[in-house]
Amino acid sequence: MNLSYTDEQNMLRDMVSKFCTTDYDFETRMKTVNSENGSNPEHWKMFAELGLLAIPFSEEQGGLGGGHTDLSLIFEEFGKAIVVEPYLANVVLAGGVLKRSNLENADELIAGIVSGETQISLANYEPMKGFNLDNVDATISSDGQINGTKSTVLNAGNADHFIVFGKSGDGYAFGLVNRSSDGVKVVNYKTYDGFVSGDLALENCKCDAVFSAENALEILEETILDAIVCVSSEAVGAMEKSYKLTIEYTQQREQFGQSLSKFQALQHRMVDMFMETEFTKSFLLKVLATEDSDEKRKLIFGLKNQIGKAGKIVGEEAVQMHGGMGCTEEMSIGHYLKRLVAISHLFGNPDYYLKKYSDS
Amino acid sequence: MDLNFSKEDLAFRDEVRAFLDNEYPKHIKEKMHNGDELTREEIVEWHKCVAKKGWMGHSWPVEHGGTGWDATKVYLYLRELALEGCPTFVPFGLQMVAPVIWTFGSEEQKKRFLPRILNFDDWWCQGYSEPGSGSDLASLKTKAVRDGDDYIINGQKTWTTLGQHADWIFVLVRTDDSGKKQEGITFILVDMKTPGVEVKPIITLDGDHEVNEVWFDNVRVPAENVVGEEGMGWTYAKFLLFHERSSIAGAPQMRRNINKLVNKAKNVFHGDTPVADDPTFKAKVAQFMLDLDALEMTELRGLAAQREGKSPGPESSLLKIKGTELQQRITSLAVELAGHEAMPYGGPYGFTDIEVAAEKSAQQSAPKYLNFRKVTIYGGTNEIQKNIIAKAVLGI
Repeated sequence: MNLSYTDEQNMLRDMVSKFCTTDYDFETRMKTVNSENGSNPEHWKMFAELGLLAIPFSEEQGGLGGGHTDLSLIFEEFGKAIVVEPYLANVVLAGGVLKRSNLENADELIAGIVSGETQISLANYEPMKGFNLDNVDATISSDGQINGTKSTVLNAGNADHFIVFGKSGDGYAFGLVNRSSDGVKVVNYKTYDGFVSGDLALENCKCDAVFSAENALEILEETILDAIVCVSSEAVGAMEKSYKLTIEYTQQREQFGQSLSKFQALQHRMVDMFMETEFTKSFLLKVLATEDSDEKRKLIFGLKNQIGKAGKIVGEEAVQMHGGMGCTEEMSIGHYLKRLVAISHLFGNPDYYLKKYSDS
Repeated sequence: MDLNFSKEDLAFRDEVRAFLDNEYPKHIKEKMHNGDELTREEIVEWHKCVAKKGWMGHSWPVEHGGTGWDATKVYLYLRELALEGCPTFVPFGLQMVAPVIWTFGSEEQKKRFLPRILNFDDWWCQGYSEPGSGSDLASLKTKAVRDGDDYIINGQKTWTTLGQHADWIFVLVRTDDSGKKQEGITFILVDMKTPGVEVKPIITLDGDHEVNEVWFDNVRVPAENVVGEEGMGWTYAKFLLFHERSSIAGAPQMRRNINKLVNKAKNVFHGDTPVADDPTFKAKVAQFMLDLDALEMTELRGLAAQREGKSPGPESSLLKIKGTELQQRITSLAVELAGHEAMPYGGPYGFTDIEVAAEKSAQQSAPKYLNFRKVTIYGGTNEIQKNIIAKAVLGI
């Protein structure tokens, strides 16, 4: 057994951590959040130069051959600074489908993601259809016509292409759709956690390509599992930062002639926050240390349940102990809560995954 | 003991229903149903509509224009209003400063302010917390110095709910800092139009402008606006807080909201079956319902005691703690039900400018959840409430 990170992994963590602490303070983050497209092209360029966008792709695909552990390190650091740049949407979701697909020009699109020049969003969820990945109405016909409505399309506003998941014949397939094609309507919006997302309406839209008709659902499932590992790691980082900020704040804030951190009732609650974080981190490490298998799949379902519950507890407690100030837009702590709550519902909420865990 | 309503009670309930059917303004009802934001004018219109009926003083003594209803009637009245989805009453005048004025104020103050509160001619707000004085309210520093027939106020208040709409503010000021911090506090009424009063918005996590900072820069206020005695403000402040806390719980609103939520869950799918049929969801709802029953019964006990002439005391902290915890639980459940449909953020009332696929109620669930983080903090944090119970109720 070996529970330590490799030297390369530690270097990767240091690099991301350095970006987050030197280039991504809370003020910079909020400027990005409040900007029109909700992300910062300068940061994206920096990510490309640092090789971050190449991490999960194989060397043949022009990537660095990283796995869950490498992604996890990046996201844990992102979580500490609640980074809103569209890494999940482009690299993990769209990239995750592309790298597993039989799309002819997949390598070309991956190269575009890696260089930061192309942005692609995955469109699989649909309004009022819940979390089951196969529960879709969108259809892709044999001649590449696509019809349907998609929602929760992360980073939709900035995407050049969409990878749309839909029914095709007796099974499922992906359609590659250019943003400027006829019949594509994109509705962009901000999400409550400071990210950007969108809805996609497709009406008799001609795909540029239809691909992976043999195993589209499996590819989608595996990609979402990657994404869960990523947001769970992000949540662990956000939880750690939340309890640390709370300790800091209660040490500074004085009421009744002493700092709040001196009150035992609050000390115990901060200990609880710390414990929630540590046990969640342990669960995450169990997932990372498990070989790809049905067992790992089940553990990822469990992880999504765990971070959904624990993240919300830690985030809510952090805001409570910041008092009125914690409820303001001006202070960072509430933004951690927003992201933690959003993560608890992205790709399916804790109850949904508890059931999946127990059923598998 | 008997939980059944008498014929007379039921007739009264029908009277309330008839009033709501006939006089509750339709446009306000519709907005409330859709979760839209009410304008100041609409909030005033609603209060005036109730005032016209003579029902604003449901918790007031008869001699000041109160309805004189017994606990059952008050309960039925508030329950019907809540079930109909009516806006809650702005409490700062009606339930907070009014009891202080009729208990400790001068005859002139009673005559001058109470009828206008009862008729909602004046909108009141609260000047209690300060940036450095939250839980430790008595450490407040806003200063009032006597100058002839006036006081001159300097300082800053914060978390003033709906201060942007207010005509008057009741303020705790320090008139003496030579003794213990609880001494030397004075309760004073300030016209918001007085030169030197400035309201600055605070934006909360849900993106809404509901609370404010209120700044006082050499604000000159006539000494006749002091309620009771100079230096006795802390006693009045606590009296007011007991009243505030006893009206925070909001059980009937929650009953309505949980029923709405369960109904919605019948048509929401997360996995293979409607969420309403999901055992985990059902267990959460059931647990909520029984906690709500216990809360409501505790509220009724308090109301009954008030009718027998007892002012709400430290035991109102019980209602505040449990009521706010349950309020948060229901907003949490709403976000859970909405799932990723809650993601689109068009402000606290949902999108009005673009057509988003997610239902409006789903869009509103996250802002509402975020907004409700405040309820376990305002009116004295729940931690402070536990200190009060430990000290004043349990005698520990």
